[in-house]
Amino acid sequence: MRSEILYPGAFPMVRVELAEGEHIKAESGAMVALSPTVDVESKMEGGFLGALSRKLLTGEKFFFQTLRASRGPGEILLAPTVPGEIVVIELDGVNEYMVQKDGFLAGAETVKIESQMQSLSRGLLGGEGFFILKIGGKGTLILNSFGAIHKIELKPDQEYIVDNNHLVAWSVTTSYNIEKAASGWVASFTSGEGFVCRFRGPGVVYIQSRNPGSFGAWVRQFIPVSE
Amino acid sequence: MTTITPNALCFGDEFPASGVPCLVQVEGHGLTVTFVSDPAERRSESVPFSGLTVSAGGLDHDQLVVKWAGPKGERTLYLKNADMIRAFRQAAPDHLNAPFERAAERVRQVRHRHRMIWSIIGGTILAVVLGLWFGADLLVELAVDRIPVEWEQKLGESAYRDFLSHQEVVKEGLGVTAVEEMAHRLTEQIPNNPYKFEVTVVKSDVVNAFALPGGYVVVFTGLMKKAESGEEVAGVLGHELNHVLQRHGLNRIVKQLGLVAVVSIVLGDQQGLVGLMKQLGVELLTLKFGREQETEADLTGLQLLHRAKIDPSGMITFFQRLSEKDEGRTEWLSTHPMSRTRAERLKAELAAMPKKTPEPFTFDWAKVRGSLGVQPVVDP
Repeated sequence: MRSEILYPGAFPMVRVELAEGEHIKAESGAMVALSPTVDVESKMEGGFLGALSRKLLTGEKFFFQTLRASRGPGEILLAPTVPGEIVVIELDGVNEYMVQKDGFLAGAETVKIESQMQSLSRGLLGGEGFFILKIGGKGTLILNSFGAIHKIELKPDQEYIVDNNHLVAWSVTTSYNIEKAASGWVASFTSGEGFVCRFRGPGVVYIQSRNPGSFGAWVRQFIPVSE
Repeated sequence: MTTITPNALCFGDEFPASGVPCLVQVEGHGLTVTFVSDPAERRSESVPFSGLTVSAGGLDHDQLVVKWAGPKGERTLYLKNADMIRAFRQAAPDHLNAPFERAAERVRQVRHRHRMIWSIIGGTILAVVLGLWFGADLLVELAVDRIPVEWEQKLGESAYRDFLSHQEVVKEGLGVTAVEEMAHRLTEQIPNNPYKFEVTVVKSDVVNAFALPGGYVVVFTGLMKKAESGEEVAGVLGHELNHVLQRHGLNRIVKQLGLVAVVSIVLGDQQGLVGLMKQLGVELLTLKFGREQETEADLTGLQLLHRAKIDPSGMITFFQRLSEKDEGRTEWLSTHPMSRTRAERLKAELAAMPKKTPEPFTFDWAKVRGSLGVQPVVDP
């Protein structure tokens, strides 16, 4: 499997080349175009209960689509729903990433996806809900963001503070605490930041340059309200 | 060259921030770390136990963090493999025992805290659900208590007038005076009675009697014909009056209308109930009482009969006789199923009461029945 990001920037696509017999899993609805040698299948990753828990708990789709080059080599074009960048991560089999629910676009067949429960404070205040995706295994993982993706590299014990709504993915070797953005409660909310995550290295944190929730609120003011 | 499976991530100044996969092996003197990123140039580093520090780390504090100062700066290992951690701990010299214990304690604490928090949440949810389930009756009672009697009367009266307009009401005669005497004797024994009871006799072969909220009682002539004594009808009346006094009808309505009604009543909006009832099509005449309410009306009815010096055994025998000879239109039974336990309960209750000499009614029941069209039975 080889992947290449086309039209990098706000409206990218990713081209994935598969050898015969190879397959990838992708977010349901992500496929844009494909070679006639590639078959689209729908699969409940992790079995029925796994898929159900993913759907109910993380809000991620119930089905992932499986794209299989069953009749010879082929290529697939994939694109996310929202405007924003795509990033390709090569998983080494040891490192694992926590991915917020809209961040997953596609992954190699050897990539393992499960939903994991977060701690109470992270679930309540972190902005990603109580359950998020934990992605490990070995192979190519393709993530997407709303806006541009920025990678923050943290050395051991190095700290960095991120607005929780801008998180895309972070490696499990990092740890984070949720705290108020400003020292006082009122200032935290009037500053418009609310809660932030204080990450501590080592590891990598991927953040997105736009906040989907704020964008939604901004769009809402232009939608006429029907009586 | 054999491929090796990495079991740890190593961080250091010359490595990328996401760390490099490596294979950690425990040996007699310390750890051997083999870097696998570049198969052509596989490098190994040996670190003696004496140079290591250990702690817990990672997102869920479930990874073992091993640090040492190497020739190229500080190195940090993140280990997750449980077997590997166990082997390391067994081989480690004494000076690492305390930090290992601290790290293990930290992992246990985090897990314990997670379990605690989730069990508290689970427990709270369960408590709320159970509270609503079992506390619903209490809430309903609270709501019913807040409805004023006048309003209850208005509610009952409209249904009562509506019902009577479609029925043939018996306005005078022996039957009416007999029922009025029973009602009078019973209601004067009710202390602080807030209700102005109104009892109407309706001509119908249906064996039934019912009470509406607010004190409106209907007795069908069918029931009077079936009764062999005035005490038997008085027993039914005692039971029905107590449905009113215990506000069972209101209780049922509020229950049927649900939580919204309860909350709005408790918060002071009693009038909204009429609208709600209309909206949901709750009809007073089709309300059925629950088993507990029936038992309550039985027992309080029995006590009322006792206070009024009306022989309470009439109530029991009439209920039993009706259930034994269920001849078609005995509607009273369909809403008041007579079980053996119910009769036994009443008998036991009656036996426990102090004996009182009953005072007979002033009317002759045989004549009353005769006036309703029942041929007197002549003993052979």
